[in-house]
Amino acid sequence: MKVSREEVEYIAKLANLKFSPNEMDKLLKEFESILDHFENLKKEDLEGFDMYSFDEKSLRIRKDEVVDFENREKLFSNVKKMRDNCIEIPKVVD
Amino acid sequence: MYSVRDIKKGLKEKKFSSVEIVKEHLDKIKKEDEKIKAFVTLREDGALKEAVEVDKKIASGEKLRLLEGIPVGLKDNMATKGLKTTCSSKILEDFVPPYDAGAVVKIEEKGGIILGKLNMDEFAMGSSNENSAFFDTKNPWDLSRVPGGSSGGSAAAVSAGFAPISYGSDTGGSVRIPASFCGVVGLKPTYGLVSRYGLIALASSLDQIGPFGKSVEDCIYGLEGVQGFDEKDSTSKDVKMPDYFEEIKKGIKGLKVGVPEEFFDHGIDKEIKEKVEDNIKILEKLGANIERFSLPITETGLSAYYIISSAEASSNLGRYDGVRYRVRTEDYRSFEELIVKSRTEGFGEEVKRRIMLGTYALSSGYYDAYYKKAMIFRKKVEKLFDDAFEKYDVVVSPTLPVLPFKLGEKRSNPMEMYLSDTFTVNINLAGIPALSLPAGFSKEGLPIGMQFIGDKFREDLLFRFAYALEQELKLDLNPYKEGR
Amino acid sequence: MGAYETVIGLEIHVELGTKSKIFCGCSTEFGRKANENTCPVCIGLPGVMPVLNERVVELAVKAGQVLNCKINKVNKTDRKNYFYPDLPKAYQISQFDMPVCSEGYLELGDEFQGKKVGITRIHIEEDAGKLIHLEDEDVTLIDYNRAGVPLIEIVTEPDIRSAEEAHDFLKKLRNMLVYSEISDCKMEEGSLRCDANISIRTIGSDVLNTKVEIKNMNSFKEVHKALLKEEKRQLELYRYGEEHKIVQETRRWDAGKGRTVTMRTKEDAHDYRYFPEPDLPPMILEEKYIDNIKKTIPELPMEKKERLTKNYGLSQKDAEVIIDDKTTADFFEELVSKTKDPKESSNWVITEVLRSLKEYDEIPVSSQQLAELIKEIKSGSISRSAGKKVFDKMCDTDKMPVDLIEELGLKQISSEDKLEEIVNEILSKNSEAVEDLNNGKDKAFGFLMGQIMKETKGKANPGVVKKLLEEKIEKM
Repeated sequence: MKVSREEVEYIAKLANLKFSPNEMDKLLKEFESILDHFENLKKEDLEGFDMYSFDEKSLRIRKDEVVDFENREKLFSNVKKMRDNCIEIPKVVD
Repeated sequence: MYSVRDIKKGLKEKKFSSVEIVKEHLDKIKKEDEKIKAFVTLREDGALKEAVEVDKKIASGEKLRLLEGIPVGLKDNMATKGLKTTCSSKILEDFVPPYDAGAVVKIEEKGGIILGKLNMDEFAMGSSNENSAFFDTKNPWDLSRVPGGSSGGSAAAVSAGFAPISYGSDTGGSVRIPASFCGVVGLKPTYGLVSRYGLIALASSLDQIGPFGKSVEDCIYGLEGVQGFDEKDSTSKDVKMPDYFEEIKKGIKGLKVGVPEEFFDHGIDKEIKEKVEDNIKILEKLGANIERFSLPITETGLSAYYIISSAEASSNLGRYDGVRYRVRTEDYRSFEELIVKSRTEGFGEEVKRRIMLGTYALSSGYYDAYYKKAMIFRKKVEKLFDDAFEKYDVVVSPTLPVLPFKLGEKRSNPMEMYLSDTFTVNINLAGIPALSLPAGFSKEGLPIGMQFIGDKFREDLLFRFAYALEQELKLDLNPYKEGR
Repeated sequence: MGAYETVIGLEIHVELGTKSKIFCGCSTEFGRKANENTCPVCIGLPGVMPVLNERVVELAVKAGQVLNCKINKVNKTDRKNYFYPDLPKAYQISQFDMPVCSEGYLELGDEFQGKKVGITRIHIEEDAGKLIHLEDEDVTLIDYNRAGVPLIEIVTEPDIRSAEEAHDFLKKLRNMLVYSEISDCKMEEGSLRCDANISIRTIGSDVLNTKVEIKNMNSFKEVHKALLKEEKRQLELYRYGEEHKIVQETRRWDAGKGRTVTMRTKEDAHDYRYFPEPDLPPMILEEKYIDNIKKTIPELPMEKKERLTKNYGLSQKDAEVIIDDKTTADFFEELVSKTKDPKESSNWVITEVLRSLKEYDEIPVSSQQLAELIKEIKSGSISRSAGKKVFDKMCDTDKMPVDLIEELGLKQISSEDKLEEIVNEILSKNSEAVEDLNNGKDKAFGFLMGQIMKETKGKANPGVVKKLLEEKIEKM
């Protein structure tokens, strides 16, 4: 399955990943070989099958009650920069 | 090497104390894990402290819980409060969760003592454990070979006797494959039987936590330690399961075994095929009825699996943006740069490859052809298994088409690695349980695994078959032999 | 060149009035310290999973019912994937192709002939966190308190034809949702947000031309203004044959500048890669469940308006003013039950009570207080103008009118004997005025009244004074 470089670059952008030109070459080849394998799907007879089957009867829900997380001080312990109880990042322009 | 029963008996009869037994395991790890490298993090102090408490309980004659004092290892994608949980990835190398996974809570409630966190393929992506960002784990049977993945550390730990029980996760075979390669019992439970809360997700509709043990009995202890409804997991099911220890006593006489032809194909290694066929004959000897049938799902199932798991993974891994967990990259001037650099530097090759694949499969223009089609095919797989279980109590196959391979052998082509999963992935697509049992050895002495597949919530049947065969084979599963 | 018409569709996000967030037990309380309402689930830590709040489903269904929608018994959640610092999981759990409600409508007011504006769909989703951009530093701060607050998104058909209609739609919508206790709909607190899509086309055409999305309108008035401005901008382009210059874009309403401006156009449109949320099973709502929710719907604005006009003989206009705010409407009814005088009650509510709401957050007097005040005025114990003074005082105290009248010494003098004395005194002191009056200068009457009121420091019962004065003058 041939895939264009532009397409893969677009996907990389969507996924917020950066590839060097060499890595991109390698990735393109790998993509093609993997997508070739995916062609298997086209051979299947999927008549009568649907993506969804709604057979669970019960509604998985919880009560509308406030439950405070008991370990709040540790919630942001992995963050590099905090300020005024907020996470600090470089300015984002809307 | 201790089994769970050995430890429980020993503690009860005061042959040894909990502290002694935990210490013995820790010492063994400290001595031998240098070679095997199963552990990412060892939890000495916590484990010993808990052992002290167990001894107090024993002394005061208090009733002991199911896993009281049993040393246990956890795959490093299970969140442990206050204890580093890395998924063997650089992007989480300093991550300390402020909460425990649902399964971890259950283990602790049952008295299990967590010795540490075990190495894995990064974010559970891999079949050989060669994708860890930290180091390779070796197969205790042959240190030049892979232990299988992605729960390689968990399987190796049990195989090497570092703990009688360990836990891994299985999305497309990640418990069964290393179980097969390392010569231990590994179970992937029915989807929803074990809580996924706190299991750092790879593919949400496929993942399940599963136990490893050297014997079927230990594997049962492992499952009982974690199974059950968790309200924090909306996909968790509330099903009353039978007493497996009672069930395995029943034997397999009169039970029906389905043998799917397509699972003995695919260029499968001859020795594996022979060994599994031999074992099927033993099952017949033990009273089971064997029937061959067609289950033509292996090839497309593999495609569907990689599409679905990559797609869900690409979404699940979006949150790793370097904002809420320690950022390795120092050089960034904007938020965009922060994210791209963190992810590009923090993720390994395979992870990035799958994120790309998954993003592609979900992108507009491709969603219908890939993700949607794969999800529809999945329903077909479910139906085909449903039909099979109308007729059979269990379906058997080899766990893998290949023997444990050498480190670095399959690194050139990702597709080649994916093919290892041919016999395991469809089980995850259908959400049914499957167990890998040590079935014998190759001429070179490499472990061969046999897979038992069951209907939803029929783990009891899997245990029955596996136990019957295990008792018949009486394999020596100690990897420490002369010359190793 | 044909005449043109404006085509507007609205996208409204409403925060549901639940105590806890949609997928976790964190509080939804507004105004807390940054990141105080957080937990591993709503900040998207590795391994966490969502569990749906039952009240969210109830309120979403209820919203569909009050907006005359079809409730989709089978509906599900989907992931909308994109990266933004206020989105902790890098995906928002929303509903894509199977929303909880569809195909409804909302009726506009009388001035629009009760026109029905179609509601395409209502769906459930989680809110994102908040970004605080610092002014003098290159820093943005993230506060996740709002992340995970439950929202419904209401999308209208492009049935709206003017900024005025849009404004009315929003007012009617807010009333519906406040009355049925689905949300408090406070735009200033962000519990109601509105984006608009607007395009122009020739009348009679059923084609939809390039639409422009308008964001950042922070009050109903701003929505009105922004739409007027954008409509004007687009119309002008049409008039000069430059309609091709209207591009599909998002424009930001700049209240300060009073116009819409192009937002930074992102090179690529978002590819959200929607797929069904694997961590949440689809929702299957039983008939009985849906019916039970319908039973909880209280009297809605239109019904209340009809009832008020019918039962209390209020004018359409007065009734519309009273029902505009539910607490006011409730207050009015409480008041009437006590005074048994709908006309007097509605007067006071429409004037003094509504005016007081400009100063106070809630109605500052109790219905009991006001009822007694009205009684005092009707009995003649105080004058109407004195009554207004008492009302103002009542806003700050629980004291009853009877005590306040005493305190302020506002009691009206109604005794004829007392007043006769004063009338006589004034008459005798103002012979000139009396003469003027006899000579037909009616103004002098008012002057004499004024003098008498002045003498009594405003406490004289004007009715009685008038009567006495008239009698005396007749006799003269």
